[in-house]
Amino acid sequence: MLAPGFPVADVRDRARRGVEAILPRADGCEERAYGHAVFGEIAKTDADCVDGLDRARIVPPVLMPGRLEMLLELSREPAFSDVDLTSTVGGFKCALPVYVSAMGSTSVAQSALGFEMVEQAARAGLPLVLGENVRSMFGYERRAEPGLPSFKDRARAYLGCLEGNTGGLVVQQSTEDANAELWNEVYSDPDFHPLVQRGLLGFELKLGQGAKGATGGMTVIDRETAERVGAAFPMEHLDGMTWLRSSAPGTFTEDILRSQVRLMRNNFPGVRVWVKLPPGRDLRLAGDAAWGAGADAVVVDGACGGTGLTATVLLQHLGLPLDECLRRLEGHAGELLVSGRMWEGSRVVKALALGAGGVGLGRAAIVAAAEDAELGLVRLIEALAMEMRLLISACGKYRPDQLGRDDVWFGG
Amino acid sequence: MEHAVAGAGDRRRPPDRSSADLTTPDVYLATAQMRATLRVQQEALHAARESLREAGFVELLPPLIGPVTDPGIRGSKQVDVRYYGHDYRLMTSAILYKQVALHAFPKIFLVAPNVRLEPLDTAYTGRHLAEFVQLDVEFASTRYADALTLLEDLLVDIVEHVKRSCTQELADLGRELRVPQRPFAREIHADVVARLQRIGRSQEGSAEIRWDEEEALSREAGEPFFICEYPKGSRGFYDREDPARPGVLLDFDLVLPGGHGEVASGGEREYEYARLVTRMRETGEDPAKYGWYLDAARRGIRASCGFGLGIERLTRYLVGADAVWKVRAFPKIPGMLLP
Repeated sequence: MLAPGFPVADVRDRARRGVEAILPRADGCEERAYGHAVFGEIAKTDADCVDGLDRARIVPPVLMPGRLEMLLELSREPAFSDVDLTSTVGGFKCALPVYVSAMGSTSVAQSALGFEMVEQAARAGLPLVLGENVRSMFGYERRAEPGLPSFKDRARAYLGCLEGNTGGLVVQQSTEDANAELWNEVYSDPDFHPLVQRGLLGFELKLGQGAKGATGGMTVIDRETAERVGAAFPMEHLDGMTWLRSSAPGTFTEDILRSQVRLMRNNFPGVRVWVKLPPGRDLRLAGDAAWGAGADAVVVDGACGGTGLTATVLLQHLGLPLDECLRRLEGHAGELLVSGRMWEGSRVVKALALGAGGVGLGRAAIVAAAEDAELGLVRLIEALAMEMRLLISACGKYRPDQLGRDDVWFGG
Repeated sequence: MEHAVAGAGDRRRPPDRSSADLTTPDVYLATAQMRATLRVQQEALHAARESLREAGFVELLPPLIGPVTDPGIRGSKQVDVRYYGHDYRLMTSAILYKQVALHAFPKIFLVAPNVRLEPLDTAYTGRHLAEFVQLDVEFASTRYADALTLLEDLLVDIVEHVKRSCTQELADLGRELRVPQRPFAREIHADVVARLQRIGRSQEGSAEIRWDEEEALSREAGEPFFICEYPKGSRGFYDREDPARPGVLLDFDLVLPGGHGEVASGGEREYEYARLVTRMRETGEDPAKYGWYLDAARRGIRASCGFGLGIERLTRYLVGADAVWKVRAFPKIPGMLLP
């Protein structure tokens, strides 16, 4: 599994070893090196990351009244394992404030997304966003390509592994999916009716995403696929056998956004409404419009986010980094979810401290599931949860929502 | 996944899937009650046609399929049809065609069959069917108040005719039908919402009136009444937004008394190209698929008002039934596989 610019080796390591992998190893050591070697700051291996979130530090206070409160509650000194990560993300109960973001229809994502990743997401108690263009590319119920699961195959796989009332299925709708009426199809489908009744269904309106801004999705497809989906998408011939399929991003103004959110609330009672924004300069205005119209959560994908294909120039030069997105949304009124390059505890905890209510895993979930189809994502989540508990308790706090901006230091 | 049809437990509840009630139309159609109901329905349609023709309306035949249809259908799915290798849809309503049909005559109507794959919850409202018929009316006008007056006259004409022509049927059905008093009350949506919120009901200001709330309002009412001026975001793109009051739609519902609820929806229409495209985006629609309609709008379509009146809902009211599936032959209850 390749994901240039993403710390694939680290994610694969966690997918194999789980919690064990959060402890450092000395170069050349196969075994755990903790206790056998000395470590300073681990150098960043990925110089491409544009945002300051990774460069920021989590800086706990020395004096911790919050820890005293926990001490009184427990009648003993609290430990990191006392951190309660259970949360509500975008209206769904989850084991920790993490969900799995929508993946593109790019084949690299689909190879792992098919069943393994969605099943593991369900077992880990994480909400799952299903999109983009899965319905258009792979069919709603009947498979458009025999080897690749349809939209409903994926939903069934996820729901089949969901335990209790944790998790939730969020269906993303892009412009092409709107033509196919994906939300209406799901909402009127008897198979999804129990989900509505249990409050486990959400719809995500997508305005754009991290790496691509609001330019619409792209994927490279072969001739056979191009012939099948050609009428639904703008298509560019690349060479003899391959085509570039693009999605129309959709036009939004403040009024259009507000009206669409209201229409979602009007048309789909009982369904959670998420709105996904690209890292644009006016995301505060857009976020306030979405929250004001009644969105349960606004999702902001930082410039580092994205799983699908797009032009290099967009990857390198488009959009605000996630730390700046969080800065511009400081003091926001509604629930904020963020995504983009999330895979380990420090970035997640910093995002939560800076105002996010939950974070989305994209590439990390794919890489982990591809590494181990049975337990890769589950182990990645276990490692992430352990790191989150360590970092949150280090700040003298015992729930993610107790984190605050004071816990993060950007330097200078 | 389960195929649950959990019931509300009242008389409107559809019979079990395995029940012979609806899967054997040869049996239920032969009952005296159904015969009386269908005669009332026939007379209601006759009266509606007479009333509209006298008012200068011309009846057109309804389209059944098209490249696009009405997207303003709360949470329900359109039915796709493969049409010579292209995706067409069964009509959910003929609204787009009605507007363009005004090029033929300034006043038109259709008796139009529609199909909407409604969410399962609607199986228990007593007033939703996946297949139903609308009396679809449209006329050139710039005031939705004209449509209210027309609708008042139409309903009164229908009730008077049915009372005259179906005395025996109404008696057999135990229905004492009263001619509504004109003018019907005209309430503003925002006022209705405020009233509901004052008594602790969970009605959102930016949404359509919820089905249970609307039924409660209908039960309290002694006469039909209009709820006017819905907020933008609660209706299809074609309901005209008041240029002087952004966010307010110049539209309405007609609500019948006695718990029968909404029987007709209508309003002034958007007809200018740029406004239509913008409103389409506000409802999440891609203007590209509305090519023929937008081309017509570029060339110019008339300012108009209109409404769709549900024939099964009207019949339900006329005969005093508690569910629409009891008043038509071959009903399709949402989620149920019926002949």
